[in-house]
Amino acid sequence: MIREKPQSFNTVALKERLTIPRQSMPEQDPFIRSTNFFEVNLGLTPEQAVIEAQRCIECKKPTCMDGCPVNIKIPDFIQLICKKDFLGAAEKIMEDNSLPAVCGRVCPQETQCEEVCLVGKRFEPVAIGRLERFVADYAMENGNGSVKETQIPQPSGQKVAIVGSGPAGLAVASDLIKEGHEVTVFEALHEFGGVLVYGIPEFRLPKTILRQEVANLEAKGVKFIKNFIVGRTMTIQELMEEEGYDSVFLGLGAGLPRFMNIPGENLNGVYSANEFLTRSNLMRGYEFPEWDTPLYRAKHAIIVGGGNTAMDAVRTAKRLGAEKASIVYRRSEEEMPARNEEIHHAKEEGVEFLNLVNPIEFIGDDQGNVVAAKCLRMELGEPDDSGRRRPIPMEGSEFIMVVDMVVIAVGNGSNPLISQTNPEIETNKWGNIVADADGRTSMDAVFAGGDIVSGGATVILAMGAGRKSAAAINEYLKSKVGSSA
Amino acid sequence: MNLKDQINSMDMDDIIQMCVHQEQQAIDLYTLAKDQARNESSRQKFQELIDMETKHKVALQNFEIENYIELPPADLKVTDYLMEPVLGVTMTTQEILILAAKREGKTATMYQDLSDHFSMDKQLSTFFQMMADEELRHKHDLETEYENEFMPEG
Ligand SMILES: Cc1cc2nc3c(=O)[nH]c(=O)nc-3n(C[C@H](O)[C@H](O)[C@H](O)COP(=O)(O)OP(=O)(O)OC[C@H]3O[C@@H](n4cnc5c(N)ncnc54)[C@H](O)[C@@H]3O)c2cc1C
Repeated sequence: MIREKPQSFNTVALKERLTIPRQSMPEQDPFIRSTNFFEVNLGLTPEQAVIEAQRCIECKKPTCMDGCPVNIKIPDFIQLICKKDFLGAAEKIMEDNSLPAVCGRVCPQETQCEEVCLVGKRFEPVAIGRLERFVADYAMENGNGSVKETQIPQPSGQKVAIVGSGPAGLAVASDLIKEGHEVTVFEALHEFGGVLVYGIPEFRLPKTILRQEVANLEAKGVKFIKNFIVGRTMTIQELMEEEGYDSVFLGLGAGLPRFMNIPGENLNGVYSANEFLTRSNLMRGYEFPEWDTPLYRAKHAIIVGGGNTAMDAVRTAKRLGAEKASIVYRRSEEEMPARNEEIHHAKEEGVEFLNLVNPIEFIGDDQGNVVAAKCLRMELGEPDDSGRRRPIPMEGSEFIMVVDMVVIAVGNGSNPLISQTNPEIETNKWGNIVADADGRTSMDAVFAGGDIVSGGATVILAMGAGRKSAAAINEYLKSKVGSSA
Repeated sequence: MNLKDQINSMDMDDIIQMCVHQEQQAIDLYTLAKDQARNESSRQKFQELIDMETKHKVALQNFEIENYIELPPADLKVTDYLMEPVLGVTMTTQEILILAAKREGKTATMYQDLSDHFSMDKQLSTFFQMMADEELRHKHDLETEYENEFMPEG
């Protein structure tokens, strides 16, 4: 389909646009921020946002949209920023993405929209993520966050249960409430937002944003029920047969921590990233003693892994007062899956990077507390399927490192509860739910999307999957009415 | 008696029998585990392992390896330093993969020893070398799968 080019509001001559430097995001001073949990990035000013938007060269065939997993109309919202119509820009984004304040903060834009931005071929790409964040925050402060007063839809009389309140579940709720269905979100934890509240720390994603998003959905009629574990409190069948839900969406995420299976992993002081971050974020350990969740203040904390989770954990450990906090990673920095920005921020905050190192044993004292890690040095071999060079252990390179806290952040798996209680829902050999491109599972009327289907991925992919499922659920519900009429 | 001494006192039939026995033991163990496994994903994984070991057994019996790939793979050693899980019904897929990769590694060493032992007999030496490579290739595949699934950020 040929897209109509948005009307231009850019007053800067094309040639001059390329001379404008990318606007840097104001941020807290690294020394100060490494001792607090306030947000690191402070957001562009309106003036900066307009200048940044004016860097867009308005390509005839814009590639940025293809780089976005949900195809946000990037050229359009950028022109609205040039016009200083910030609410209009937010509205434009929200046509495709219901959580722009979240995505503007945590999406890996450098490997998505910004990677394919044509300005980036010779200069630094347009800071699309920072612009998205700017307009979303502007809308939250100056509108009601949901921007457009949507018309109240005609009630359909049909009920949808959404299990899990992560980005996938919230995206489904947002789309289906607009269709007039009765939508209820069931969440196992005592706060809504999934990884966005229990995993990603406050200094990267303030929780007020999530609370605001949930409040917006509530205002539109979505019901939220917490402390409700589907599969334990009530099964899917019971929801459908006894509570009358016509369809169920499973957005359960991949919250099962993976361990390494090396000796000493059950010593005191060895945490999964999941537990460590949940204690700090959801249980507000970072606000101890106001909140009663004690967290150990380490002399030397090591975090094993190189993804966003590891970066979040190491920066949390540092802020909680660890004298030294180190990343221990088997490969080199080039292969790290974490966002560049997180690696950069971690370094600025004084985190040590021990690359090409792999722990093979944790050693404890007679009280069962971890006191040391036995590690091996690695060297890089041939690239694997993902193109990352493979780490190979170097024989005889063992060394001992004194540590008093370890966080394992090598990956997560899917929680087996739903597949165990519902054998009719097909799972693959890793326990992920098998679903088609629209989220249909092997159980009638049950859909699934996000990390529970794809395995650990990204917020935007989870939301994208949620939106596809929402469309399919809507179709399914319509056909149900059609066939019973 | 270590494997090398054991080989010295065996004739060829006994050696093949020993290898077949080794592969069969693995098939039996994985079959047992598959039948008792609590979830479908583990059952699938065990079945893949059974198919793999059955191919090894057939190769020994026919003295021929089907679809042999020339290039021996690198030993990634991903599971070498991990704890050896005990085979049982409550095993997780992660433990199954570790156990299987470790077994493939040990069997590769056995075939390598046999290849070295028969270094004067080109045909035998090559056959066992190929078997060792096969086992190593399977270890490589299992460890690749392990890395992708159990340490995507590690
Ligand atoms: C520490 C960390 C940092 C990350 N950083 C980034 C980042 O910077 N950028 C990015 O794009 N992605 C990041 N990710 C990945 C991203 O957060 C996930 O891909 C995304 O949250 C998946 O969304 P989801 O809705 O599928 O699941 P989740 O966010 O995991 O939400 C699932 C929800 O379902 C609930 N649930 C599970 N089972 C049940 C049940 N039986 N009954 C009721 N409720 C249930 C859970 O409690 C949870 O709240 C990060 C992940 C982690 C762990």
